[in-house]
Amino acid sequence: MRLSGKPKTIKKKKSLAAAMRDNWQLYILVLPAVIYFLVFNYLPLYGIQIAFKDYKAVEGIAGSAWVGLKHFKNFFNAYYFKRLLSNTLLLNVYYLLWSFPVPLILAIFLNQIRGKKRKRFIQTSIYVPYFISTVVLAGMLYIFLSPTSGILNFARTAMGLKAIDFMSEAAAFRPIYIISGIWQAAGYGTILYIATLTGIDPSLYEAAEIDGASIWQKIRFIDIPSLIPTAMMVFILDCGKMLASDTNKALVMQTPGNIPTSDIIGVYVYNVGLGSGQFSYTAAIGLFVNIINFILIISVNQVSKRMTDVGLF
Amino acid sequence: MKRNAKKQMSFSNRIFHIFNSIFWIIIMLIILYPLYLVCIASVSDPDAIVRGQVIWHPVDFSLIGYQAVFQYKELWSSYGNSIFYTFASVVISILVTLSAAYALSRPKFVGKGIINMFFVFTMFFNGGLIPTFLVMKNLGLYNTRAIIILMGCVSVWNLMVARTYIQTNIPGELYEAAMLDGATHFQYFSRVVLPLSKTIIAVLAVYYGVAKWNDYFNGLVYLRDRSLLPLQTVLREILATLQVDKSGDYMMSMADSAASMNEAMRIANVSKYCIIVVATGPVVILYAVMQKYFEKGVMIGSLKG
Repeated sequence: MRLSGKPKTIKKKKSLAAAMRDNWQLYILVLPAVIYFLVFNYLPLYGIQIAFKDYKAVEGIAGSAWVGLKHFKNFFNAYYFKRLLSNTLLLNVYYLLWSFPVPLILAIFLNQIRGKKRKRFIQTSIYVPYFISTVVLAGMLYIFLSPTSGILNFARTAMGLKAIDFMSEAAAFRPIYIISGIWQAAGYGTILYIATLTGIDPSLYEAAEIDGASIWQKIRFIDIPSLIPTAMMVFILDCGKMLASDTNKALVMQTPGNIPTSDIIGVYVYNVGLGSGQFSYTAAIGLFVNIINFILIISVNQVSKRMTDVGLF
Repeated sequence: MKRNAKKQMSFSNRIFHIFNSIFWIIIMLIILYPLYLVCIASVSDPDAIVRGQVIWHPVDFSLIGYQAVFQYKELWSSYGNSIFYTFASVVISILVTLSAAYALSRPKFVGKGIINMFFVFTMFFNGGLIPTFLVMKNLGLYNTRAIIILMGCVSVWNLMVARTYIQTNIPGELYEAAMLDGATHFQYFSRVVLPLSKTIIAVLAVYYGVAKWNDYFNGLVYLRDRSLLPLQTVLREILATLQVDKSGDYMMSMADSAASMNEAMRIANVSKYCIIVVATGPVVILYAVMQKYFEKGVMIGSLKG
C-alpha cells in the first residue's frame, strides 16, 4: 500500500494533462455555450461603465467622459425615486404574499381528487394559462375590463353599478397585476408540490386510516408537514426576486391613468432609457437594481441553505 | 362503537369530497372561462359582443372577425417571422444546450467547475437592459433577425436540467463500453447520448419554443424594421393599447376589409378575439401534444435542488 502511494500521485498529475488532452472534444462541445454567454452576458458587463459616464453615441462606450457617481446621485435625489422604489417593492411584496399560498392549496386539494382521469384532466387544464403570452394576457385584460365592451363592466352595470375603466385606474393596477399573475402561474406552481405529495410513503396514510383519521386530519398531519420544506424553499427563493419584477408585463399594462402605481423601476428604465435616450442615467438605475438583486439572491440562498439545506448553488 | 366511529368518518369524508368537487368546479371555471369566452366571442357578431350578450355561447354566429384577420397582412408576415425565429432558435438552443450539458456531465472533464461557475454567474448578474442594448448595437446586431433568434437561446436553468438528465438517465456502462470500442466524445455524443435524450429534447423544445414564441420585448427593443417584427410585438400594438391611434396599422387593415370607418371599428371589436385565438392556438396545441414532457422538465429541474 505504501509503495503504491507515490506512483499514484505522479500518475494523477500526469493524468490531469492527459485527461485534458484525451478529452479535448469536450472543450469543443462546451465552446458554443461559452461563446454565447460571453457575447450576450459578459460583453454587456463591459457596457456597464456608461453608468459612470456621460454616454454620447459619437464617442462610444469607451470614449465618453467619466462623471463618477453623478447619475446615481441624481437618481437618489429625484422626486420620483421614492415612488419608483416603493411601487416596485410593494408590487412584489403583495404579489409574493397573495400568490404564494395558492399553488399549495391547489396541490393539496388536487391530491384528494378521486379518479385518475379526472385528476389528469384537471392537471392538464390548470397548466394551460402558463402558455399564454404576456401580450395576450394583457390583451385579454384590456378586453375584459374595457369600460364599454368588457364583460366585467357588463356585470357591474347589470347590478346597477357604474362602469369603471379599470386599466386606467391607479388603484386597480396592483390587484389586476396580482390576480392575473396568479391565474397564469398558480397551476404551474403546483407541479413541485404535487411531486412532493406523490412522494409521501403510502404506509403513512394507511396507518392514519387504521387509526380512523379523516381526510382533513390526513391533510393536516401528513400533507401539510411534508409540504413545508418545499414551500419554505420556494418562498425563500421568491424573496430574492423582490426588485426583479415582471417588467414585460407591467410595461404592457401601463396606461397614462395607472402610472402612479404602474411606474416600477424596470418600466421606467425602458421608457426613459430607450424612449428618451437617457442611456447613462438609466444604465445607472439598472446597475443599482442589479446590485441589490445580486445581494438579495446571495443572502436568500444562504438563508435557504441554512434553513432547508437546499440552495441554488 | 368502533363501527359507528368508522361510519362517522366516512360521512365526514363524504362531506369533504362534495366540498372538494365544488371547489374544483369553481377553480376550473375561473381558469377556463376566460379562454372559453375568447373562443366564443371570436365567432360572434361584433354588435352582440358590444351589447354584452356573448356570455355562455356564440351569438349570431359570424366569421367576419376571422375574415378581417386573414386579410391583415402585417399580422401574417409577423406570424411567419415568429415561426422562423422560434424554429431556428429552438434548433440552435437544443444543440448548444445539449452539447454543453453533455460535456459538463462528464466527471473527468477538467475545468468543469470553472465553466459551471461561468454559466451560473449569469443567472445572478447581468449588464441590464441599457448596457446590453448598446453593446448589441456596437456589435452590429441591432435590427437583425440574428439577435431575435440568439437572444436568450441558451438558458442556464435548462442547461442544468439537461445535465442532470444526462447524468441520471444514461447509464455509465454505455460510456465505458463505447470508450473500450475506441469511440470519441463526438461519436458517443451523437450516436449514444442524442438518441437516448429524446425526452429531454422534447422538454427543451417546449420550454425554449414557448419562451421564444411568447416574447415581445426583444422585438420591441432590438428591431426597427416593421417587416422583421415577431408576432407578439405586433400583437402588443393591437391588443394592449387603449388608444386607437397606436394601433393605426391594425385599423387601416380593418378598414381595407370594411366599407366604412364605422364598419372597421365594428369589426375591430371582434377581430381582437380572433387574433388571440390565432396567436395562442399553436402554443396550446404544442402543449397538448408535449404535455407529459412539460411536467417532466420541472421534475428533473427540482431533482438537482
